[in-house]
Amino acid sequence: MTENLVRASTGGPPPVAGPPRRTVGRRPGRPRPGIGARLRAGRWSYLYLMPFVLLVGAFTLYPIGASLVYTLFQWNGVGSPDHYVGLANFRQVVHDGVFWRSFGHTFLYAAVVVPVQLALALVLAVVLNNKRLRFSTFYRSVFFLPAVMSPAIIAVIFQLLLSNFGDSINTRLIRAHVIDHQVDWLGDPHSVMWVVIGIGIWNTLGYNLVYFLAGLQSIPEELYEAASLDGAGAWSKFWHVTLPGLREVGLMILFLAVLGSLQVFDLVQVLTGGGPYYASSVVNTYIYQQAFGGGLSAGGAGITVQPNVGFASAAAFFYGLILMVITVAQALLLRRVRASRNAARGVREGD
Amino acid sequence: MASTTPPIARTPRTVPARQRRGPALGRSLPHVALLLSAFAWIYPLLWGLSGALKTDMGFLDSGLGLIPHEYRWHNFVDAWNSAGIGTYFVNTVLITVATVFFTLLFSSAAGYVLARTEFPGRRALLAVIAVTFFLPRGYTIIPVYDLVNHLGLLDSIWAVVLVQVANAMVFNTFMFMGYFRTVTKDVEEAAMVDGATFHQLYFRIALPLARPMLASLGLFVFISSWNDFLIPLVFTLGRPERQTISVGLYSFIGQTSTDWSVLCAGSVISLLPIVLVFAFAQRHVVSAIAGAVKG
Repeated sequence: MTENLVRASTGGPPPVAGPPRRTVGRRPGRPRPGIGARLRAGRWSYLYLMPFVLLVGAFTLYPIGASLVYTLFQWNGVGSPDHYVGLANFRQVVHDGVFWRSFGHTFLYAAVVVPVQLALALVLAVVLNNKRLRFSTFYRSVFFLPAVMSPAIIAVIFQLLLSNFGDSINTRLIRAHVIDHQVDWLGDPHSVMWVVIGIGIWNTLGYNLVYFLAGLQSIPEELYEAASLDGAGAWSKFWHVTLPGLREVGLMILFLAVLGSLQVFDLVQVLTGGGPYYASSVVNTYIYQQAFGGGLSAGGAGITVQPNVGFASAAAFFYGLILMVITVAQALLLRRVRASRNAARGVREGD
Repeated sequence: MASTTPPIARTPRTVPARQRRGPALGRSLPHVALLLSAFAWIYPLLWGLSGALKTDMGFLDSGLGLIPHEYRWHNFVDAWNSAGIGTYFVNTVLITVATVFFTLLFSSAAGYVLARTEFPGRRALLAVIAVTFFLPRGYTIIPVYDLVNHLGLLDSIWAVVLVQVANAMVFNTFMFMGYFRTVTKDVEEAAMVDGATFHQLYFRIALPLARPMLASLGLFVFISSWNDFLIPLVFTLGRPERQTISVGLYSFIGQTSTDWSVLCAGSVISLLPIVLVFAFAQRHVVSAIAGAVKG
């Protein structure tokens, strides 16, 4: 019953190549069991894997193929797609002004949120990582708290906060001479994207704070002590010990932050619905509205469009490809940095 | 906001005693700066909490103020009953509990056999996991919607659970696989000698050993399921009474309602479980999240 247990802690047996190596690690003279026997031996493994295989197959792998098929049809989501249009949906996406505007907003969002958020999180992490700072757990909790909250609910609260009730943000800013007239923060096309970006930074900073703290704790204390003995000041320690020590974790953090912000949806959908007039539309809200358009009654934007599933699928597929290219490029970069670090370490240990 | 100078700059080790005792201000300055920025940081949340206690008039009058002139606890009752938050809350609890349970059950089982057993097709599965790890999430919602529709599950709580569990599968299986590889096999081998069955090995020995992983992944799945928006939104579009709190409050805004304080109360109700979990399991939440970059 348990005959199929192997020593898999090293990642399973090496690949079998050619008859002579077939019996490596097996008792000599005993042939490798046939495929039928091995299938039978693995029956419980298959049973335990069944939910995984079914779920991943049906909800991850199949949809990739299916969405490719949808891109070739003009279809409003009712019944089955039958109006074949070839690559017309892709042409339409490439020539769609609103898609590219949404694309631009998404990249603007990422281009501002990621550096500002990472810089803030890093500074805060360095401050809170100081062992002599009391109550640092408390501060960490406070700055982390918004990150565990639903972006949709955050958006509800900010929508109310930014509205003009009584002694509002506007009256205070006017009194402080920052602005000279009432601003409709979420209704003005010039301000809306910046408000969304600001809330985005606030909402997810906590993750990066925790990541950076984890990274800082992995830097050996001796390095700082050695730097102190060499007469290094705080700034020089930060520059020569902290930053190099965070190189690998930092790249991973950057990786996650870029991908996360390029996929922003909840916050924008609830806060503005992409409005006014697509001024805060991001790729995901645009795809959502194109795909489920008719059912879109809620939200502040008031944009109602006919569902256009083929177009939405084409846009989603196109954007998915772009994200995949970015992901793979980042993964390769990360691997190279790891390899070069390991190589450096190997040389040092070899000496 | 957080642009305070690192305190390491102002705590040099070799300062003469006279100087060190002198400016107590110098040592409390970081705390003052941190307290002020921490207060500003959670101000929007405190404002939401106080808004939930204000009367309609008080809400309009007090603007950014945090202290209600008159406390109206009844907002919570109104939100729970007349705004339908009660139903949304129950839906969200059911969905979250079921998602956590099935995600942990299925992914730990898959992670266990992938880490511990050898069978034809194992390498192919590992390759699938590696590839899907790099697939961006959320771009296949349209065919998934169609699939759920064909299964006849649309507009049900189970649709949301099913899709959430499926989406959580690859990451969690990967984490369990990595965990079981690091756990020693001694106990299992001893049990095998004693004639334990495959199921006993898994349920009696491996799963209890994986308790720390179950806890941190469970927390992670709990938070993401509770906070999820797109999946419950899409799969309950036709049946408002099946919606979760986030989706329900979102449509509540759309109804051009002016019940701001009730809306705030609803938000507070929806944030409460997360805040409670965070308060009691803060260390675990933080280490679960930090674990994502350490690997």
